[in-house]
Amino acid sequence: MMTDGPLVTQRRARSEPAREATVPPDPAELRDADLVRAMRRGDKDAFRGLFRRYAPTAQALAQRIVRQQFLAEEIVQEVFLAVWRNPTAHDPDRGSVKSWLMGMIHHRSVDVVRREEAQRRRAAEAIPDAIDLDDDPGVTVPEEIGLPEERKVVRSALAELPTEQRQILELMYFGGMSQSQISERLSVPLGTVKSRTLLGMRRMRTTLVGMER
Amino acid sequence: MIDHDRIEELIAARALGGIDPEDARALERESAEHGPDCIDCRRLMDEYDEIAGRLAFALAPAPVRAEMEDEILRRTLVDDGPAATSAAPPSEQSRSPAALDERRAARSARRAGVARGVAAVAAAFVLFAGGWVIGANLGEDTPLDLSAARVVSFDSQEGELAVAFEPGEPGVLILGTGLPSPGPGKVYEVWMIEGDTPTPGPCLRPGPDGSIVELVDAELGTTDTMAVTVEPEGCSLAPTSEPIAVADLA
Repeated sequence: MMTDGPLVTQRRARSEPAREATVPPDPAELRDADLVRAMRRGDKDAFRGLFRRYAPTAQALAQRIVRQQFLAEEIVQEVFLAVWRNPTAHDPDRGSVKSWLMGMIHHRSVDVVRREEAQRRRAAEAIPDAIDLDDDPGVTVPEEIGLPEERKVVRSALAELPTEQRQILELMYFGGMSQSQISERLSVPLGTVKSRTLLGMRRMRTTLVGMER
Repeated sequence: MIDHDRIEELIAARALGGIDPEDARALERESAEHGPDCIDCRRLMDEYDEIAGRLAFALAPAPVRAEMEDEILRRTLVDDGPAATSAAPPSEQSRSPAALDERRAARSARRAGVARGVAAVAAAFVLFAGGWVIGANLGEDTPLDLSAARVVSFDSQEGELAVAFEPGEPGVLILGTGLPSPGPGKVYEVWMIEGDTPTPGPCLRPGPDGSIVELVDAELGTTDTMAVTVEPEGCSLAPTSEPIAVADLA
């Protein structure tokens, strides 16, 4: 489960922008932010717009982690309900709307996996399939403009990772496994799992956020 | 200059949801050592959270039930917007001192009234009949015909809860007083039960004084029982805990 400790609290209490403006604003992100602002006024159409844009990805993520469609649906419903009830929870200084949404879906899915004994057993018994990076993700569900491109960028960034780093990131993020579980599962020292996690994430950060450390 | 390698390693694992409890504690310690003004720490956390969120888009989208968005909107308490509507910028008129005073007075009267009135079902009914609860909260267009309202009290462990409704008509008023907080990250969720099937109702959080006054867009025609459970914030589709209050409507 994610921690929500002092650092987070401290960060929330601050108001200055968290990110340096090294890239121009993404038009899709600006539109998402507009939708969230409209939701604060109770605009149902704005909620529907956000839901239709991101629910298919949210459903895919939750389903991938919890491995049960009905549980995934419940998670998606809960998260979007929470967003509808409290759209002010998004802080644009801290990240994009889409990452905020998917972060909530991910946290809740991982919580479910770790809470449910059966789910835990399933996670321990089976390593989730690797993501097929050659698969065309846009063919089964119609999507709004912009998201296929986002998928391409993210999948390309993942594909560029060394296999051993990508495997660990995927097990952790899509499999809901902790670093110690991955260490045990792959028979790799915990320190190696940690260092591969960091190297993989640094590389993703360089590619996706465009910031060289 | 403080080295950020260690905290970065912990932040990256946390963002992916894979941090072990021991490392989560280490992250808290590191965060305390770096202090609240650590700009690099904050940037690392925001950026890794951003990356983790975007990883979801590596997946092919999955079909979503067409009814889901309507179901979510139906689960909101009142039909005119999200609970956070009050956070929206008020109009110039509603920001005026007179309007604010009016609202404060109404709120104060409402709370005081609820505390007095819902102490017992009979008293609650008097309140309904008197009309001020409806007037303060629901406006003149309330679907409830107060003269025909049926009032049922919940058998509750703590505090008092009552529900008022007009049989066969939509609109259910839930009143509570003396209710403890459901706890951090938790809400009270109301269930309408027919046979063995619970249908989720609204999620509620008592005010600071332990009171609840909510109008629910629901019809209790086929409901045998109402129950209230403590659920995670964001609500559940099925009860995950034992009821803390039950009302028999049969």
